Amino acid sequence: MSEEKEPVVGEPGEHPLSVLLFSWMRTPLFKTMLAWSLLVTGAALIGLEIWLAFRPIKDVTYAPGFQGMFGFLAFVFAVLSGWPLGKMLRRSEGYYDSRGGEAGRDD
Amino acid sequence: MTIERLADLLANTNPGFFILAAALMLPFARDVASRAILMVGGPLVALIALISAEGLSINLQTVQFLGPELVLYRPDSLSFVFGLAFIIASALVGVYSLHRRDALQDSTAMLYAGAAVTAVFVGDLISLFIAWELTAIASVFQILAPRGAESVRAAVRYLVFQIGSGMLVLAGICMYVAATGDTQFALIAPSQASLPVGVMDINAPGAVLILAGFGIKAAFPMVHNWLQDAYPRTSETGAVVLSAFTTKLAVYALARYFAGLEWLIWIGALMTVFPVFFAVIENDLRKVLAYSLNNQVGFMVCAVGIGTQLAVNGAAAHAFAHIMYKALLFMSMGAVLYRTGTTKASQLGGLHRTMPWTTLFCLVGAASISALPLFSGFVAKSMVMSASHADPTLFIVWIALLFASAGVLEHSGIKIPYFAFFSHDSGRRPQEAPFNMLLAMGAAAALCILVGVSPGWLYQFLPYQEAAMEYLATDLWTAGHVLQQLQLLVFAALAFMLLQWRRWYPAEKPGLIIDVEWFWRRGWPVVASAVGKRVRKAGRVVSGPIGAAGGSVQLAARQVFGREGWVAARVPLSATAVLTLAILGIVLAISLFA
Repeated sequence: MSEEKEPVVGEPGEHPLSVLLFSWMRTPLFKTMLAWSLLVTGAALIGLEIWLAFRPIKDVTYAPGFQGMFGFLAFVFAVLSGWPLGKMLRRSEGYYDSRGGEAGRDD
Repeated sequence: MTIERLADLLANTNPGFFILAAALMLPFARDVASRAILMVGGPLVALIALISAEGLSINLQTVQFLGPELVLYRPDSLSFVFGLAFIIASALVGVYSLHRRDALQDSTAMLYAGAAVTAVFVGDLISLFIAWELTAIASVFQILAPRGAESVRAAVRYLVFQIGSGMLVLAGICMYVAATGDTQFALIAPSQASLPVGVMDINAPGAVLILAGFGIKAAFPMVHNWLQDAYPRTSETGAVVLSAFTTKLAVYALARYFAGLEWLIWIGALMTVFPVFFAVIENDLRKVLAYSLNNQVGFMVCAVGIGTQLAVNGAAAHAFAHIMYKALLFMSMGAVLYRTGTTKASQLGGLHRTMPWTTLFCLVGAASISALPLFSGFVAKSMVMSASHADPTLFIVWIALLFASAGVLEHSGIKIPYFAFFSHDSGRRPQEAPFNMLLAMGAAAALCILVGVSPGWLYQFLPYQEAAMEYLATDLWTAGHVLQQLQLLVFAALAFMLLQWRRWYPAEKPGLIIDVEWFWRRGWPVVASAVGKRVRKAGRVVSGPIGAAGGSVQLAARQVFGREGWVAARVPLSATAVLTLAILGIVLAISLFA
């Protein structure tokens, strides 16, 4: 009687919990689906807020979608600022180790 | 000892003392079981003591010392929530550290935790200073723990800031006490003695110095870099310990003495914003968390500055929630460091395959810090946001906090879990974290969810309980509030995906990001060298008789202070130590009683 091989799930050596929880993220459609679902959820949230906002809007911060738009733009601004800041502020790993550098070094 | 006497002891003793006692016994614990009993049992006894406290806002333990009466135990509703958070954190740290056998690091970590708990429950300035300094001294051993040359240098830089903070606080206390004669919290703001939060007049002698000392510990802008310098250089457990206590103790002290001080609103707002930009480009994920810590403490400082009941509640709730989720995030990165030897984003990725539990706990921490509804950050940060939004004059501050909220999602909500556990596959297949680490992370994650799902549990401990419960009943779960927060997060996440797809997200590159530490690590040596050259040149010009006199003074100084001088050779080390202590004591006594 031949031994029945267990079906291989995930990668060799991969933790079963990892397969259970995260392997679906590796499907080709995952990124597209996630992006679309975020977009649809975002739009739905705005729609829901409009539907709920029957009271007059006090100021711009109460406008439906304000927080969504603000979050999007703030995130983009923070991330894109990383390009010039990285060029300006990034040095080699041993920057402070080089001679003539750090105060209090004996070597 | 009878049961009654034991109960009396528990009800009237500062809970921090129990953790300190456990810390002092730890070096003698030889096996894992006794270490576990001390590291978890100490905080557990402290928790029982806190719960059984005989009353709030009364002096439960006092002692007469060199004149003034020291109040060793005075719990109130402000100290209660901070103390509770510190005790829980010290128990979590105890469990998280069980895999390691380093008596020095373990005992100093407990000493540090015990000193922090002691500090929040003392009732006078002098006791606060003593506990404050003990946290500084005990914490430095966490940075020394890796025992490398680099960690020693980082520890020295850290110590300069911590001792500097202590000296400012001491000088401020001396001036304040000399002018007013008051040392006890309840006497400093007598009209508010019945309220948990009193305030010190910023115009009182020494108050600005005390504020500056607290500010260094809270990592105010321009003195914030000790945090990013030290925390990533510690061991896997060291960063967890450090993240829980120092800055939150400073927030407690600010809330205790300076609630409602307008300066703090703007300092706090600035603290929330600037770390976002550094965190985006930082490659070391523990350094990213250190910047994130700055950002989160900024929310608390800002709330303390606003000073309304809602805002002070927000600061306290945020401190509690932050201690849990930041410890959780540092624990998950500690597990990564322990298993892979690095926390550099450029060398990580794909770890979820073999570290799924760590991944899961990290995601809970990320959701909490991002203030996703049903997680702890949401119920805590909401109060701060609402308090700033309620005052139309603080519109710019509110916008800054909103920007910082999106920034938090970027650096802690997405960047940390994404680059460590997902992103490109680094090919690393490390083992899952040890069981004790998972246990500590699981407990912290459970607390994050408990507070998020059932905020009433946390709100009942806040300084102004009625205001907190009213906020819970009328504001927290309104559809508009939840929807707006979800929108912010969903659209920010969408922006992340868009930037990744278009390859506009800056790649994680190895390297070092310079910050204000440049001034004392690079700038100062350059200036000192340039000035030194000119002084030497001038010295040569005026040499001769002046030079000869200077030479004699230098010779005498060498005999006294030099390694091979007369004093070093003849006078025992113990005598010089006693002499130094005596001089310090005389200075202290003169400052206090003159």
